[in-house]
Amino acid sequence: MSPSLTYKGVPVWRHTQVIQWTTQFVSGILVVVLVSWFAANMINAVQDREIPHGFSFLDREYQTPIGQHFLPYESSDTFLYAFIVAATNTLIVSIAGVVLATLLGTFIGIARLSGNWIISRIALIYVEFFRNVPLLVQLFFWFYIVLALPPVREGYVLADRLYLNNAGLSIPWLSVSGLGSSLGWIGLVVVAIVAGIVVHRWLVIREIRRGSAPDPLLMGIATVFVIGAVGWLVIALSSGTAPFTVSLPSPHGAFGRISDGFTMSGGLMALMLGLVIYTASFIAEIVRAGIQSVSRGQIEAARALGLSNARTLRQVTLPQAMRVIVPPLISQFLNLTKNSSLAGAIGFSDLTNVAKTMTQTAPAVSIFLMIMAAYLAMSLTYSLIGNLYNKRISIERR
Amino acid sequence: MAAEVRPVGNPPLPPPILERGVIGWMHANLFSTWFSGALTAVSCLVIGAAAIFGINWILFNADWSVIATLGGQLVIGQYNTELACPGQNCFWRPQVSVLLVTLILGMMWGLAGGGLPKRMGIAVAVILSAFALLPYSFERMGMDVRLLLGANIPALGIGWAIARYTPLGTSRNVALSAVVVFVAILLLVRGGPAIPGLEPVSVRHWGGLMLNLILAVGGIAFSFPIGIALALGRRSSLPVVKLLCVVFIEVFRGVPLITLLFMSQVLVPLAFPENFPQNSLFRAAIVITLFSSAYMAENIRGGLQALHPGQAEAARALGLPSWQTMLFISLPQAIRNVIPAIVGQFIALFKDTSLVYIIGMLDVVEISRAFIQGNPEYLASTKELFLFLGLVFWVFTYSMSYVSRRVEENLGVGRR
Amino acid sequence: MDPKMLKNKVYFVVAVLLALAVTLAACGGGGLSEEDVEERAQTLAAERMTDDTAMTEADVEEKAQMLAQTMVAQQMQDDQMETVGNRLQAVMDRGRVICASRNDVPGYGSLDDAGNNVGFDIDLCRALAAAVLGDPNAIEIRLITAAERGPTIQSGEVDMLVRTVTWTTSRDAQWGNYAQTMFYDGQGFMVRKDLGVSSAMELQEASVCVTLGTTTELNLQDFSNQNNLNLTVVTFEDTDALVAAYDSQQCDAFTNDLSQLAALRTALSNPDDHVILPDTISEEPLGPVVPHGDDQWFDIVKTVMGILIYAEAYGVTADNVPTEATGDTKVDRLFGLGGSFGQDSLGLDETVAQDVIGAVGNYGEIYDRNLGPDGIDLPRENGRNALWANARCTDCPKGGQIYAAPLR
Repeated sequence: MSPSLTYKGVPVWRHTQVIQWTTQFVSGILVVVLVSWFAANMINAVQDREIPHGFSFLDREYQTPIGQHFLPYESSDTFLYAFIVAATNTLIVSIAGVVLATLLGTFIGIARLSGNWIISRIALIYVEFFRNVPLLVQLFFWFYIVLALPPVREGYVLADRLYLNNAGLSIPWLSVSGLGSSLGWIGLVVVAIVAGIVVHRWLVIREIRRGSAPDPLLMGIATVFVIGAVGWLVIALSSGTAPFTVSLPSPHGAFGRISDGFTMSGGLMALMLGLVIYTASFIAEIVRAGIQSVSRGQIEAARALGLSNARTLRQVTLPQAMRVIVPPLISQFLNLTKNSSLAGAIGFSDLTNVAKTMTQTAPAVSIFLMIMAAYLAMSLTYSLIGNLYNKRISIERR
Repeated sequence: MAAEVRPVGNPPLPPPILERGVIGWMHANLFSTWFSGALTAVSCLVIGAAAIFGINWILFNADWSVIATLGGQLVIGQYNTELACPGQNCFWRPQVSVLLVTLILGMMWGLAGGGLPKRMGIAVAVILSAFALLPYSFERMGMDVRLLLGANIPALGIGWAIARYTPLGTSRNVALSAVVVFVAILLLVRGGPAIPGLEPVSVRHWGGLMLNLILAVGGIAFSFPIGIALALGRRSSLPVVKLLCVVFIEVFRGVPLITLLFMSQVLVPLAFPENFPQNSLFRAAIVITLFSSAYMAENIRGGLQALHPGQAEAARALGLPSWQTMLFISLPQAIRNVIPAIVGQFIALFKDTSLVYIIGMLDVVEISRAFIQGNPEYLASTKELFLFLGLVFWVFTYSMSYVSRRVEENLGVGRR
Repeated sequence: MDPKMLKNKVYFVVAVLLALAVTLAACGGGGLSEEDVEERAQTLAAERMTDDTAMTEADVEEKAQMLAQTMVAQQMQDDQMETVGNRLQAVMDRGRVICASRNDVPGYGSLDDAGNNVGFDIDLCRALAAAVLGDPNAIEIRLITAAERGPTIQSGEVDMLVRTVTWTTSRDAQWGNYAQTMFYDGQGFMVRKDLGVSSAMELQEASVCVTLGTTTELNLQDFSNQNNLNLTVVTFEDTDALVAAYDSQQCDAFTNDLSQLAALRTALSNPDDHVILPDTISEEPLGPVVPHGDDQWFDIVKTVMGILIYAEAYGVTADNVPTEATGDTKVDRLFGLGGSFGQDSLGLDETVAQDVIGAVGNYGEIYDRNLGPDGIDLPRENGRNALWANARCTDCPKGGQIYAAPLR
């Protein structure tokens, strides 16, 4: 045996752990150095060129109008509050958009698999059209459709309750009568929802044990309603006023603009139409792929067990399809939220656009850090919920 | 004479009228139940009404003169203006670039011998050549421009012949020449002080559809490898590398591209020393690419997760080192499985290129909007303009998704 | 797998990556080129070599002191450079004047049929280029949005900001120096005639369309608060959507600078159905802004604007620029044919006015071309944007406010 063949062990520099730790150390150091270089430059630039910075502007009065807003807002409010108002605008658009887009997308996705040739073709054309045209172009399209509605003084009125015109859709809405009673009732509703979930769980367990029970879903919803209604009555009787009163929209002033109630402005209508229809085209494809991923045998087995079509869909197909659907679906939710930043083009004041106006009177650097933080917070919340749900429904790998 | 064999009994009846021919197809696909029939009827009515209204508007009510006025600006933006290209005509440079692209398409056709590349090549060349016949006056659109457009059909033929009859006709050579052509196009459009006849044109004046396409192709080419690296980093067992990749991906995915682009203009310049040479288009291109690569990373990660661990184990068992296992076993399969998602991301990237208006670049959307806003007599034609822009984008994105579907079929995804 | 094939694949991947890297370098254009990097590395290496040679402690100390002195001297020099001639030299080296402007407003900055930047603001930039570089086309127009105006001029990456920027004290303090008011605008309202509104005070509870990210929004809020109008506001990023919204009565009134209202009225489906209300709710002096920190450049821009104004006052147009002494001392001084108005100390040519006026014409010509009869047709006679007086005949006042420091 020649000495050259004796095994000397792996040289240090080829040791897996050494390589790994060196890589990590070097990349970590590189990133730290790079980031601190950027930060140092930025601090220098901010100081040398006297670029305004800092966050002292947050308690100053904003003094600028915000178009449509969901939280009460006056121009004498502070920058910080105005920022929260704008972020709420984006948040509400995002949540409403996510719910509507999921519903429409699921519907289109199922229509894609329809046995009716025309329906499946329409669904296909819908998908191929709406996901291939830039959203900005689509937003303008819907904006012009909304503008084609009659102007406010010639708009459609339904029983003095519903007003539809190109300035928006106005509907009756709840208005807060007293802060204490309103908040109390909302708290009660939260309790009711928790109770509803408990009832639902309990009935499901009973159904499994005994084989029969009242419909868990129905009973759960009934619980929520009963507690909510009883709470309403108690608060109304004890404090003399109902927790919320109904505010009816009506034309005001010389120009016949609708106030009171809740008005969904024309820009918001176009934005919601655009966002929901655009995102639904992506969700439809995700849902279709999800349903197709469930093997036919599963559905046939469910049929053989005598489950009804609806029950097959709810308890066999969808739970399995959800595993495929959820991760990309969350991505679409994030996209919808971020895409709402195009709203400025069609006259809705979302977070990005209010923030852009803020940069006129406040340091741009600080404002942009705030926007980034706000969007990141929203996105990470969606991701977190999605990941938790995903973990719950995913199968253990065996 | 052999006895004629006759079937016993009556000849078989044709299938019932409801199950054959057009009527059968309609019964099965349109009117199988009363609900389905009602849906069909309602859909037909709606489609008919929409078609009548749409055609009437497109042909009689719409005023398309704004598209004609914009003309070449839609394609190249300010590239050929006095500021961009003083004292000469630079329109031939993008046109020659287009010829190079058709040449490559021709080579792909020659290589494949037919099928999808053939159809694509012919369609592109014919459509481009047809633009030579646009009813502009010769002052607006000179003979040189028309000839260069018409040359697309010969270019396709030359490409086909090169692939057929020269040693360049292997798939590796075609792929390499595509890369070479992309670099050549950039050099041609950018120009350089050292090259006679190719005066440099500042990237600030690149515009129109040309800008969207260059940004999209560059973005796709770079975001793909970066995305793979990020996906591998995120799945890495090294905590530091993994953390960095996760933070990068989540930050870029969590913030609107508009905000990122705006920051690239407002904040990023501050992050470099004052005299550091900078270029706002380059910054924007980097941001778009990184944004896209974060999404790409998530798509590829999905593909890797779905891969059966047996594949990697088998490769290990054969003695491949881990990087080769990744590069030649896991990645190709993972990528093949997520082609639709990747192409979807390419499409999104192409559509997102129109956001460069934030940095003051005049892409096809922005130059049109700027023009009508600066010339109010055209403001009434906004609808027509947006419809046209929608169509332009649709043509490109739909072709991308069509090609991806065909590629997917050829690879047999989902059939194994 | 066949190791040879594997190797080929590796080569292929490497080749593609290399090609991508080359592309990156080509795209970069403005970025650091390879030569730059190499040069820098060599310099660094050379420094290293000298550093590495053995030195006594005293040597080191001495060297450190010398270094510190040089650095202080350098710093002082830099400080001086800050205020004198830094930017002028930079512009001359670059060969272009970079102006931040816009392309979506008729009259001020827009695109013509061929895609060229035209407009009042663009012409001011061309005048500056003609003055500093002798070539009105040596400009680069950086298109920016309203929200980017502040950060852009603060960062100093542009030489001049001419983008319908209203001069306000806080902007003057935070953004840059306002050189000269070249146009007096004011914010007003346009409404439909059939609403029967005759004054902005009557817009109680009306809905008003406004563009986002400008002083217009702030002024509107102030006006609404002062007069308890309780206005509803609809904000738009761009005018294309805004005009469409106003035209289809999504809002009752449209507020903007009066010059813009006049120009955009022609874009409405029936211009005669609309009226611009007489109220002006704000003062909007518009003019070029230069970055803080370079007084010489600030003065150059002021002087060039003054040349435009005085050329009109003296009746000199692009067609009759004097190249030989005319005998009129004021005209001769302006055009560098006798006497001086400080060209030398600003680093400009003696005959700078000849270049400027010959290239872009005087203030009146620029006005007529863009804002007047050949542009968006704003009346100038007897308005604020007429000259203050005929400069050669100070007792013939013209009633306007366009005035610059006397050139002498």
